[in-house]
Amino acid sequence: MRDEADAARRSTGGWKAARWARRATQIAAFAVFVYLLFAGLQRLEPLPYANIFFRFDPLAALATMLAARVWLPDFALAFVTLALAVVVGRVWCGWICPLGSLLGWLRFRSAPRRAGRVPPALRRVKYVLLGAVVVLAGLAGLTLLVLDPVALLTRTATTSLIPGAVFIVDSLEEAGMRWEPTVGAVTWVEDHFRGNVLPTIQPRYEQAVLLLLVLLAVILLNALAHRFWCRYLCPLGALLGLVAKVQVLRPVVGDACDSCGACARACGVDAIELASDGGAVAPAADPPRSGTARVVSSECTMCLDCLVACPRPGAMSFGVTRLPGPWAPYDPGRREVVIAAVAGVGAAVLFGTGVARAVPRPGLIRPPGAQDEARFLSRCLRCSECMKVCPTSGLQPTLAEAGLEGLWTPVLKSRLGYCDYACTACGHVCPSGAIPKLGLEEKRTRVLGVAVIDRDRCLPWAADTPCIVCQEMCPVPDKAIELVGQHLITRPDGSQDYLSRPKVIADRCIGCGICEYKCPLEGTSAIVVLPSNPSLADGATPLG
Amino acid sequence: MAREPLTRADFLKILAAGAGGVVFFRGAEDALAGIAGAHDDIDQAALSGDLAAALAYPDMTVVKGTPIGTNVRTAIAKLGGMRRFVAAGADVIIKPNICTARTPGYAATTNPTVVATLVRLALGAGASRVRVMDNPISVAPLGAYTTSGIKSAVEKAGGAMQIMSDTRYRDYYVGGLLGYHPLYSDMLACDVLINVPIAKVHGATGLTLAGKNMMGATNDRGTMHTKGLSRSIAEVNRKLKPNLTVIDAVRILVAHGPTGGNLADVRRKDTVIASKDWVAADAYATRLFGRTPRYVPYIAAAHRMGLGENDLSKLTIKKYWV
Repeated sequence: MRDEADAARRSTGGWKAARWARRATQIAAFAVFVYLLFAGLQRLEPLPYANIFFRFDPLAALATMLAARVWLPDFALAFVTLALAVVVGRVWCGWICPLGSLLGWLRFRSAPRRAGRVPPALRRVKYVLLGAVVVLAGLAGLTLLVLDPVALLTRTATTSLIPGAVFIVDSLEEAGMRWEPTVGAVTWVEDHFRGNVLPTIQPRYEQAVLLLLVLLAVILLNALAHRFWCRYLCPLGALLGLVAKVQVLRPVVGDACDSCGACARACGVDAIELASDGGAVAPAADPPRSGTARVVSSECTMCLDCLVACPRPGAMSFGVTRLPGPWAPYDPGRREVVIAAVAGVGAAVLFGTGVARAVPRPGLIRPPGAQDEARFLSRCLRCSECMKVCPTSGLQPTLAEAGLEGLWTPVLKSRLGYCDYACTACGHVCPSGAIPKLGLEEKRTRVLGVAVIDRDRCLPWAADTPCIVCQEMCPVPDKAIELVGQHLITRPDGSQDYLSRPKVIADRCIGCGICEYKCPLEGTSAIVVLPSNPSLADGATPLG
Repeated sequence: MAREPLTRADFLKILAAGAGGVVFFRGAEDALAGIAGAHDDIDQAALSGDLAAALAYPDMTVVKGTPIGTNVRTAIAKLGGMRRFVAAGADVIIKPNICTARTPGYAATTNPTVVATLVRLALGAGASRVRVMDNPISVAPLGAYTTSGIKSAVEKAGGAMQIMSDTRYRDYYVGGLLGYHPLYSDMLACDVLINVPIAKVHGATGLTLAGKNMMGATNDRGTMHTKGLSRSIAEVNRKLKPNLTVIDAVRILVAHGPTGGNLADVRRKDTVIASKDWVAADAYATRLFGRTPRYVPYIAAAHRMGLGENDLSKLTIKKYWV
């Protein structure tokens, strides 16, 4: 008896250590994720691995390569995640995924009570979503990648969480600057963190609220069932779950099991089926061995909680299995395949017949080098890395500018921020090459659009008021804006200024938008950047 | 105002090196520090002042020639030495023009050697710290700091590059057209402010020199443009008074200013203008472009406000060659 208890303590102790390793890995991975959020924040030279989480993401990798029909070597790391899933299942979900960790930590007490009422068949939804993503990608569309969990979290962090945090820090600093005893501390923070952690300007994004609501909804779903997103919705989880059907090393239930159900109660994602629950456990030989309980490998996130919870030594352990796990009642069937295919094809048809393809919207200024719209849409993950790194916060997520098809892809909103003449960062953080990696001189020749002056609003044209801001700001060496006439005028108070009028030299303009951004008129600028026709402008040829 | 012969400049320097230690107590301290190897590379005269300068400070020094570091040190030495401006323990801010991200050859940003030499002199004069900052108009600050070469030069000289943060602008009353206007609080709070512009052409003001460079101290440029630029510039300078102005005319930009980008628009002048009176320095600098002070409206506006002298004939201007 005593030996048995000791053995139980020993074996549980071992699993406890392993569980701590899992928790430590989760914390470390999340910390790295947060660090990388800042490593790619308004940096002209972002760290080369700022987008590493996307490069480990097999859903993003497969969909992009399928849609772009090219091998993207940057995504080779994604096969490490797939290989890992073959050996140890969905460790990505349970140990690494930042959204998975976040949802794991945000535990609602009432969730286990409600989880029983969520129909298990809902687990099929994630496979349908995965199928739709893949079918649409096969038809060169990546719109459904908005469902990628890493992209989802990064997008919300970029557009609302980081701007919010920066706002709070800046507000505290401003308050601190007004109170003598804290001035030293504020100065220290400014000296050490402005420019590396704290961004130079307050980032602002148009879709901030909407994207925050998306994340909030995903979090609130946790109240229905713990890690609702991971169980029922996540297409990346579905992909890894399918691979985990052939998982080699997995938790298995041995003969010592007395069907106490402790493991099933401990399981955060209800991935353990008990025979006592109504014969859901298939009486196959491998696994389960005892026929009392079974860990469903496609649902299991390898968190190890069940192994810690098991009171009987030897009842649960890790075993090598050669046969794929049996098909559960809630695993996808023919019907799900058909629904996914119809959804994917339907989405492709919907997008193909959208008006956005016929007439580009006026605001559709793409990042440098991404002027070929069809190529761009078949590569952009909607991950928002480019928007986060943009030093002027000018790259904004679309809502309708590019049609529903281009949802949450980046566009340059010049009135909010311009394309910095000294910056190539967006192309260097783009994980899929949707924005090409360009050298500085190369990028400076990429035409994003062309500036047009509204002479009915422009101060010197419309009101004879001296102003040369657009010409002053124009970064092109020979100036794409020229000043016409230069007369010295005298104001009523005796002070003098030059009056001259700006004129755009269209074939020098690269459409960077600094003129539109800096125009001192309130509201709409008197000079706006319109999309240029790539077939007319030199240097607009996108990289192949 | 005939140019001083080269031999006399050298003679004065030798005089200063010999007499400086005896005549000025602080100079003696420094001579000892120099023997100890604390800052061998610093010209003692540039710190404690040239002997001739000490007898009667000129209003302005104009030095032509290379190397640039020697040029700047001579300009400061002949003006009375850095100690005339920077007391021991002073908190110093140097404001160059780093409007965009270009290498020094394009003459869009202040020469890094000029800035770094001033950092060394300020530290040599006993400044507790020397910060260098600007608010680039068209690019991210870090990129401009790096590309202009100013960041590495300043850090090597022992100064600190600081990014101007939006959290540190405060509204100050500057009067006239602007009323209250946001200015960088650190520049008003520091003990010594040194304005180090580069001389360039500009569409709105004809030229951009010291007075215009102070627009980098605000984050609301738009209002200045719409309310009347030249007078606004003078008003900002009325509140924000640099203790020393050093105009970098090593290279000047004669077209497509202020951001430049074309080497054909650059002229090499190898000239440095130093003065306590920025209006006078700006008035002199118009000559390098073949202009008169009347060409730059904000100089007249500043003169009318009593910020400085724009009539060069009323000033003692010492010119030197190195």
